[in-house]
Amino acid sequence: MERADLSPREPSVQIADLAVHFAGRAALHGINLTLEAGQMTVVIGPSGSGKTTLLRAINRLNECFPNCRTVGTVRIRLDGRWVDAYRDFRPVAELRRRVGMVFQTPNVLPCSIEKNLSIPLIRVAGLSKSRLPGRIEWALREVELWDEVKDRLRHNALTLSGGQQQRLCLARALALKPQVLLLDEPTASLDFRATQKIERLLLKLRDRYTILAISHSLGQTRRLADRVIVLRDGRLAEQFDREHLEDAETFEALLEEIF
Amino acid sequence: MQKTLDSLFVCFAWLAGLVTVGMVGLLVGFLIWRGAGTLGLELFFADTPPAAALLGRQPVFDGLWPAVAGTLLLVITSSVISIPLGVASGVYLAEYASGRWRALLGLGVDLLAGIPSIVMGLFGFSMILLLRKTLLPSANTCLLLAAVCLALLVLPYVIRTTQTAMESLPGHLRLIGPALGMTRGQNIRHVLLPGAGRGILSGAILAVGRTAEDTAVILMTGVVATGGIPQRLSDKFEALPFTIFYLAANHADRAELNRAFGAALVLLALTGILFAMAYWLQRTLERRWKGRI
Amino acid sequence: MISTPRRSRSTLSGERWLRGLLLAATLVSTVAVFSILGFLVYFCLPLADPARLAAVASCTWQPFQGQFGILPMVVGSLSLAAGALVLAFPMGVGICCLAHGLAPRAVARALLVLIHFMASIPTVIYAFVSVFLLVPLMRQWFERGSGFSLLSAALTLAVLVLPTIVLLIHIRFEQIDPPLRLASAALGFSPAGELLWVILPLSGRGLAAAAVLGFGRAIGDTMISLMVAGNAPQFPTSMLDSIRTLTAQIALVVATDSQTPAYHSIFACGLILFLATGVVSLTIRRLRLPSRESLFHAKNA
Repeated sequence: MERADLSPREPSVQIADLAVHFAGRAALHGINLTLEAGQMTVVIGPSGSGKTTLLRAINRLNECFPNCRTVGTVRIRLDGRWVDAYRDFRPVAELRRRVGMVFQTPNVLPCSIEKNLSIPLIRVAGLSKSRLPGRIEWALREVELWDEVKDRLRHNALTLSGGQQQRLCLARALALKPQVLLLDEPTASLDFRATQKIERLLLKLRDRYTILAISHSLGQTRRLADRVIVLRDGRLAEQFDREHLEDAETFEALLEEIF
Repeated sequence: MQKTLDSLFVCFAWLAGLVTVGMVGLLVGFLIWRGAGTLGLELFFADTPPAAALLGRQPVFDGLWPAVAGTLLLVITSSVISIPLGVASGVYLAEYASGRWRALLGLGVDLLAGIPSIVMGLFGFSMILLLRKTLLPSANTCLLLAAVCLALLVLPYVIRTTQTAMESLPGHLRLIGPALGMTRGQNIRHVLLPGAGRGILSGAILAVGRTAEDTAVILMTGVVATGGIPQRLSDKFEALPFTIFYLAANHADRAELNRAFGAALVLLALTGILFAMAYWLQRTLERRWKGRI
Repeated sequence: MISTPRRSRSTLSGERWLRGLLLAATLVSTVAVFSILGFLVYFCLPLADPARLAAVASCTWQPFQGQFGILPMVVGSLSLAAGALVLAFPMGVGICCLAHGLAPRAVARALLVLIHFMASIPTVIYAFVSVFLLVPLMRQWFERGSGFSLLSAALTLAVLVLPTIVLLIHIRFEQIDPPLRLASAALGFSPAGELLWVILPLSGRGLAAAAVLGFGRAIGDTMISLMVAGNAPQFPTSMLDSIRTLTAQIALVVATDSQTPAYHSIFACGLILFLATGVVSLTIRRLRLPSRESLFHAKNA
């Protein structure tokens, strides 16, 4: 999995002094983190350590839960311009469109495959009807789903297998042309083959997006990550670069130490 | 374009909510405004001494007491029929019936639930017609008939709340009995029914409310404007909702109209209290199961 | 060999008794439905005679001149129920959306409690307040007729069926909304956008069920039409006309103790109502059948 291009990259997301509280209890605090464009950063840590909260702090999804308070800054570079995720977006919808997210379990809308893509494209991105088919095909090709579903776009998305549904969710996020992708254990509910397929896709995509992913599998983390960050009790405990990952033994030893 | 549509939609939703709150506020406020002044012993007993009226020694004229007593007797008689029957039936549907039987019996319950109360009243009325023609020429509409028809009217309600309460019990509770060697019946009696008790009770309370408020059934099955307190099940009776209906159309003077407002406020308070009780039970129930899981 | 305790035989027969008893209780509902239908049909039998049938299925109700037409009441019932539904349905949708994301949580909760409370307010009280509050206003505003009209009754009836509609749509939203809410938000939908473009389009069955049941409740109501609609047995030509419904017809005829042919016509009214609400109940059952969407919940459970 060597990549030719190892030049230093530009920062794309900057998180400074981030803290998130739910009903007065801190879920995250003192987070300082920079994500770089074209890199995949994988978050690991024991359950309850704030991994999901960190991801949702970036697209402000934490606000969908009651009694949530966020302090600190999250800045994102969109189209070459730095914007503050918590101040510059009114309404917040535009931020969420530019920061795509895929969840643990595939959450397709219970309607046709085509509609799963077209409803957000028309209603959120305001895409014209004439550009719709092209964008749908592009997104489905991106996730290598096009050949499997092109003859049954009008079938209910729930008739797809779990892996296909998850790729559809990825396509749905990609179709909105995000710059940042948040992946919350995207293969957690999938079998081995489907997981392999998604991992292959992510390797292909990681050069073009800023990706922040959560993983519970160390093997997967090694295969995918450019950088690994470890969360413990809502704090950023450690960070490794790719070089640390290359050497299996050091990596294992480090992880041993963490868990 | 998208945004205007969104905000129009939001405006409409808030408007709908405000109008609804306003209407309920207006309804309750209006009744309190017109009815609160009439509340007092005089509203219920007029110039009869309350003690004598309560003991049935002296009849009450121009007071609500006979209507209140009639409604109470009606609700008690009807609930004695509807609640045991409905709970038994709900338990059967939740725990015993399966497959085709369940669908078929469920269909009966659904159809019964859909029958308008006036048709239920007509059913009672036609039973009397038939009895007169055949076995009992002296048959007439009465308290018992009204109670039976009202019981049938609220029966589906009791059945469905019982069934839902039983079916929404958490799975681990369902296994306790069998794991201890209880039979199915014992498990239901000692584990499941107590577990679902509050849900069933809250359904029963709302059913009592429905029994107390229904007017169309009793209109056809023996309610009268002035009849005193019924002594037997075969007597005619007065009832609060009918009094409200009757006085609204037939009040002779200001005093009678005020009595109608008083009666409406009393009935609203009665159903309001029953609602609050049922709601409280439901809330504590939810919290209990949520805490356990 | 396992020895069986002596007790078990009696327990077993006890079990069987219990089961039989419960089954008997359950059969009461079904038997009641068939008896009601039986009684209505039996008392309608005299109408099997073509001349009498023609008299009942006609357009004029003048019992003292021997005319027992119930068609005006059929039209009255239908127009009143339709009017109430047209008013209440959009309101119901609006309130449900308010309770699912548009309003703050505390407001949403309070609103749903209020809706439950509305469901517990006696019908006769809605009608009573309407007679003394809405009807005089109508009389003033429109300066025509007595105020007892199709419009007044439809407005009151809309308030009566509103909780039914809201609670049914609410149940459907509860099923669809939670698993999709985060996904929709992550795609960039605002709460309004999510409701408008995701939840509502996917709630087709729930909306249909709410409309059908609302209609059933409206057509079966007696007290509001009896007290507010004016009870004139005529075909309405405007919303301000007085009408008489099938339900009110039954109540009025029984109260006035007319002669036999009039009696038979009320059983025809009862039968029509029975069949109409029967169709409503059956439709609701069809709409409740496991849909493809249930697959979705099974997977996400």
